[in-house]
Amino acid sequence: MLLELKNIFKWVTQGGKRIYLLSDLNFKVEEGEFISIMGPSGSGKSTLLNVIGMLDGFQEGEYNFLEQPVHTMKDKERSKLYKEYIGFVFQAYHLIDELTVYENIETPLLYKNIKSSERKALVADMLDRFNIVGKKDLFPNQLSGGQQQLVGIARALITKPKLILADEPTGNLNSKQSEEIMQLFKELNQEGVTIIQATHSESNAAYGSRILHLLDGRRDNT
Amino acid sequence: MIRNYFKIAWRNIRANKLFTVLNIAGLAIGLCVCIILFSFVNTELGFDKMYSNAEQIYRVNMETTEEYDFETWATMPNAVGPAIAQNISQVKRVTRLIKDDFGTTASLKIGDKNYSENNLYLADSTIFKMFDFKFLEGDVATAFSKPKSIVLSLATKKRFFGNQEALGQLITVNNNDTLQVSGIYADLPKNSVMDFDMVYNIMDSWMGTNVYWSNASYETYVQLEPNADVSEIEKQATALIDKHVDKEGQYFTKFFLQPLTEIHLYSANVREGYSTKLGNITTIKSLLFLSLLVLFIACINYMNLATANSQKRAKGIGMNKVLGANRRQMLSLFYVETGIMVFLSIVIGYGVSFLVLPLFKSITGNALDFQDLLAAPILIGLLIIWILVTLIAGSYPAISMSGISPLILVNKSKKKGSASEFVRKGLVVFQFAASIVLIIAVTIILQQMSFIKNKNLGYDPNGIIAVSVKSAETGQQIESLMKGLESQVNIESISAVQSMPGANESGRAVRKLATDNTGMPIASCRTDGNIVQTLKLNILAGNELPETIAKGDSVIYTLINEKILDYLGYKTPDEAVGKIIHTELGPRAIITGVVENFNFNSLKDDVGGYMYYKSRKAPEGIRMLLVRYNSQDLSQFIGQLQATFNESLPNTAFDYQFVDRHVAQLYASEEKTASMATIFSALAIFIACLGLFGLAAFTAEQRRKEIGVRKVLGATVSGITQLLSKDFLKLVLVAFVIAAPVAYWFMHKWLLDFAYRTEISWWVFAFAGLAAMCIALLTVSFQAIKAAVANPAKSLRIE
Repeated sequence: MLLELKNIFKWVTQGGKRIYLLSDLNFKVEEGEFISIMGPSGSGKSTLLNVIGMLDGFQEGEYNFLEQPVHTMKDKERSKLYKEYIGFVFQAYHLIDELTVYENIETPLLYKNIKSSERKALVADMLDRFNIVGKKDLFPNQLSGGQQQLVGIARALITKPKLILADEPTGNLNSKQSEEIMQLFKELNQEGVTIIQATHSESNAAYGSRILHLLDGRRDNT
Repeated sequence: MIRNYFKIAWRNIRANKLFTVLNIAGLAIGLCVCIILFSFVNTELGFDKMYSNAEQIYRVNMETTEEYDFETWATMPNAVGPAIAQNISQVKRVTRLIKDDFGTTASLKIGDKNYSENNLYLADSTIFKMFDFKFLEGDVATAFSKPKSIVLSLATKKRFFGNQEALGQLITVNNNDTLQVSGIYADLPKNSVMDFDMVYNIMDSWMGTNVYWSNASYETYVQLEPNADVSEIEKQATALIDKHVDKEGQYFTKFFLQPLTEIHLYSANVREGYSTKLGNITTIKSLLFLSLLVLFIACINYMNLATANSQKRAKGIGMNKVLGANRRQMLSLFYVETGIMVFLSIVIGYGVSFLVLPLFKSITGNALDFQDLLAAPILIGLLIIWILVTLIAGSYPAISMSGISPLILVNKSKKKGSASEFVRKGLVVFQFAASIVLIIAVTIILQQMSFIKNKNLGYDPNGIIAVSVKSAETGQQIESLMKGLESQVNIESISAVQSMPGANESGRAVRKLATDNTGMPIASCRTDGNIVQTLKLNILAGNELPETIAKGDSVIYTLINEKILDYLGYKTPDEAVGKIIHTELGPRAIITGVVENFNFNSLKDDVGGYMYYKSRKAPEGIRMLLVRYNSQDLSQFIGQLQATFNESLPNTAFDYQFVDRHVAQLYASEEKTASMATIFSALAIFIACLGLFGLAAFTAEQRRKEIGVRKVLGATVSGITQLLSKDFLKLVLVAFVIAAPVAYWFMHKWLLDFAYRTEISWWVFAFAGLAAMCIALLTVSFQAIKAAVANPAKSLRIE
């Protein structure tokens, strides 16, 4: 088992009242799964992804990642864990504007203190694989949306994570670009990477092996 | 990794051109000011340290008695030096030093040409070894071996002789002594209080050979044996007083040693040294303080501008964190960026400082060379400044920005903490408070300066020219000159005097009774009459001094001011006229007239006792003619004056001075302070504006959505401009509230230095507040209007 959420509650207090963002959520993910989280705006999709990605905390419940209790960890241990095992893909790509394609992909390796020669090899492999060797010296604003997202995914994959978290990865793309990205996710999944994506789109969700429906922070089993 | 930081930092710097320019401009200005002032301070602190005996050389100073207000004097009787040399074994060398004719300008005759010379000194021959004189012609051993020898500095030699041979040439001083050039020495270092152009042997003059313990006009320098006990030597020297001077005659009570290296900066309370190269440690301290203030304001500026950019940068920081960066790595990134900016600013500021050196000189009168900017301490200082400014200026952006949570990427980051906003506003308030203090200070300084210029001094210094006649060969020459001048139409009045007001009077004391031990210290000045008319003094009772004194009349006729009148206890001026007055001048001195108090000294000091006297056997000589003229064409008038002068005194240099300029000279340091303060405040305000500009841009960006919504709802451009500007005006108001009392306190203290001072009035504060507000408004409105006219469709678009 890759991760398990048990009775997760997350809320904010507004005007003295608790507003639940996640409510009594139970959720297991096995390695190699491709899960789509669906639900209307405000149903808690992004919040859930942030919690799983350890970017955000929660108030109650247990979260075990690779048998380790995330809910009892300190910030440092937690960030060490997600840096090691999780890659993020965002709807707005969030490439670093000041860095070239090559440097964007290389950055996670820098933070893992990987040697220069090894970095070069890894980045070159990745550029090859995504067919963007010719674009390696361009800056993000010189790329189309689809290309930017490709770089985003390449960057997420460079550290060989076990899990990719993608929040509306095709939300800013046209249908053709969307399809390419989803196809890519499918291939990655077949190679053994676990993927959890949040999406509005039924067709994107269909790429997954399993769909989790959310409504108002709860599982919607209807 | 480091390479990567540099890369990102450099790209960021290039990406935001406007901010980079504002940032570097602010820092470079601050640094330029600092660099110049540091090198100025460095030269000042280095005064006299270059002499190989610097550590062992001291000037003997003495403490006077109550009669002279316990003042410390740098000059003393010429007997002190020889007495110390004979009696104190730990003293290796002693030299006495006196400017020719007690510090007045000398008239030199070389061949058939006349020259004026201000730095002609008499000294003992020991001075050469003491101060490392390097002889280019002649040598130390033989310089004074022949009687009537004189040595010149290289620059002086060039002035008089050009490239001609100087050795062996004759120079006649004040139409009196004729001296032969026996040596040329390399110019003394410019940062030394030793400012002699030429030196001759004091033993060739009565000043050196006629040793006595009364007239205190001689500086005395001693070089001690290494490791000598200074306090022991002071004790032994002080003991010499009782040995040589009777108790009643003692007007000084103690000798003490002032290290040579402290003379330049720490002589503010020491009277009457001869050096023209005196500085002031207070000036140095306040300059250092001001330059650090400007630098600090520039640092604040940098922080404001850097955080103003934070909105744009936040996403990148968040992303780096998701990709595995920790806080420390982000801190380094910001520090590297700041380091690069500061480095660029230092390079620019340093370069500019070379360009503005001449400007610095014209404002402060302090000459700095390129060498002074290249001195090792300055270069090391630059390195330290680089590190310090990077740490200070980089601290706030680095600390606040490195803490950004990766949640910023999913629009979930908590609202900006009010703490950081508070800090930012606090910084702007500080900047503006400092600016307002400076505006108020400058206004009050300028007010005081104009008050001084327009104050009625009790005499009229304008339109008087003082012509030196001290080197006249005979009294007849002076008389003939006066006769020649009297007939000229554009001359109103002439007085022959010992000194112009407040320059070279003799210090004496007036006693109530002849038997009194102490009296009131006064300035006494010999004149040959007409002084009331020439200076336009206000006579209260009695008469002007008599025009002529009959042969055999031994009476000393005196004209006193009200200060002396009050001391003597007369009820009315009329009462005093005709009474005997007790001074050292002689027993037969009577009061001929009483004049209203006049400010012969600087307005910093209260009026003291002043006495003009005339007698047949005056102890002082006539040194100058005060000529009151009414000519419009000054150069023509001076030409005419010189022609008459040369006719009567053919062998004397024509040397003149305007009395009003002499008076203005008294406030030279305040004038400098005024122009320095003006420049500092202009720079401080400019830099503060850069910071405010950044903050305004930041706020406008932060409130982009709000502005968009308001516009959609119908807000006008002017409405939104007001909305954005209002907040900043509040900050300026807070700054004003802080600044006003601080400024009041400082300026009140500054004005206390003046016995005569202007009032600090409320409008100065109102003016400073308004000025700051206008400047702030101008700066902010640019950004506010830009935000207000922006298309709301853009700002409201969802990403």
